[in-house]
Amino acid sequence: MIEKGKISASQMGKMLYLAILPTAALTTPAITFKFAKQDLWISPIWALCGLIVIFVSLRLHRMYPGLNIVQACERIVGRFPGKIIGFIFPLFYLYFNGIIVREYSEFVVGAFLIRTPLIVVSGSIVLVCAIAARGGVEIVGRFSELILPAFITFFLLIVVPIIPDLQVTNMLPIMPEGIRPSIEGAIVLQTWFSEFLTASFLLPFVADQKKSQKSVYISLLAVILTLIVSNLVTLLLLGELTGNYTYPFLIVARYINLADFITHLESLYMAIWVLGAFVKICVFFYVTVLGAAQWMNLSDYRPIVFPLGLLLILFSMWVAPNFQELTHAIATSVTLAIITLFVIIPGLLFCIAWVKRRLWIKS
Amino acid sequence: MDWAAVLGIAAVLVIMVRYEWPQLKPQMKREKTAFAVLTAVGGALALLLVFYPEMPGPTQGLDALYKPLVKWMDHFTEKRSG
Repeated sequence: MIEKGKISASQMGKMLYLAILPTAALTTPAITFKFAKQDLWISPIWALCGLIVIFVSLRLHRMYPGLNIVQACERIVGRFPGKIIGFIFPLFYLYFNGIIVREYSEFVVGAFLIRTPLIVVSGSIVLVCAIAARGGVEIVGRFSELILPAFITFFLLIVVPIIPDLQVTNMLPIMPEGIRPSIEGAIVLQTWFSEFLTASFLLPFVADQKKSQKSVYISLLAVILTLIVSNLVTLLLLGELTGNYTYPFLIVARYINLADFITHLESLYMAIWVLGAFVKICVFFYVTVLGAAQWMNLSDYRPIVFPLGLLLILFSMWVAPNFQELTHAIATSVTLAIITLFVIIPGLLFCIAWVKRRLWIKS
Repeated sequence: MDWAAVLGIAAVLVIMVRYEWPQLKPQMKREKTAFAVLTAVGGALALLLVFYPEMPGPTQGLDALYKPLVKWMDHFTEKRSG
């Protein structure tokens, strides 16, 4: 075992929540609105991929205790195909994390630090995350435990003051074209729900295994609820305009004005974004490093943290020439790739493992 | 400008090696190889990106892989939003 640290089940749930929610709450409303219109807030309920992925990773972990999906894969389909999948997973995590770092730095540069070069913002967050990931899974777990209360407080500080300005008529009529538009809007969200596969990499380190199942499902529920709240607030405030902004939730934060005194709350939004993105990049980076170290049979993952951090910065530059193409890719090919890799392949693996076990019991 | 970037990359690589190499014990052969290979790949990719920023990236690879489906999704998106 490369990693000697242990985390608690609740820490894992918090890590997953923070590793999935921030970018989902802050960038998806614009994409989802294109399809779902005023049913924007119903879309997060269709978390089918999240359920499948959580079910598969929990069951695979029960069949092969102490092994993550890549290691279990070697047991299920044999050494060579297992090694191929074991190579693809860290590489894809690296690529996907590159997208996240890019999104993060594009947002920071676009909305706040206008004259700062992109590389400075992405370089500094990757350096911080690399140092945290080098500390191991315990450090990342404690960070998420520390950051979650602040995250929720800031989130409520944005949502609660806006309540008097909300117009309920914006969400009417509910489901005028039936259930279909909201499901179409949920397709892009499946990318975020598929990220729950990260649970498979964290489960082996959980000290109190009995609670882990409950904790992951609570985490999924919390993500869905928070997305419903944030989408609903955005929709009720902006109405038809939601689709015109890249970051609708930022507009919500800017709108807050209590007695001409409490204004410009977008700095809170910035705090949410930096805290959330930090945990998100950390968790994904940790999974990349761990997967790569396991693939190369290293005795320690720490030596490869900084080289992979350099690669992460380069990937964040390399994923797309500009932000428009990045958004387009996220809505199309990245969604397809992540569903293939995080939902279909683990699903197939689970089926094979299940059949194998049945045959083994019979003989 | 390009050469400044090259100097920056060289500085990052030197700092990384100076920091990490003394911490590796002599018997950790695999780790040393992994570190050296990954650092070399990182350095090479960084140089390539400095001199050929238009180099096709992994996203184009995924686009090519899922081309028919991406086209269908684009068509679909236009129909819904237009």
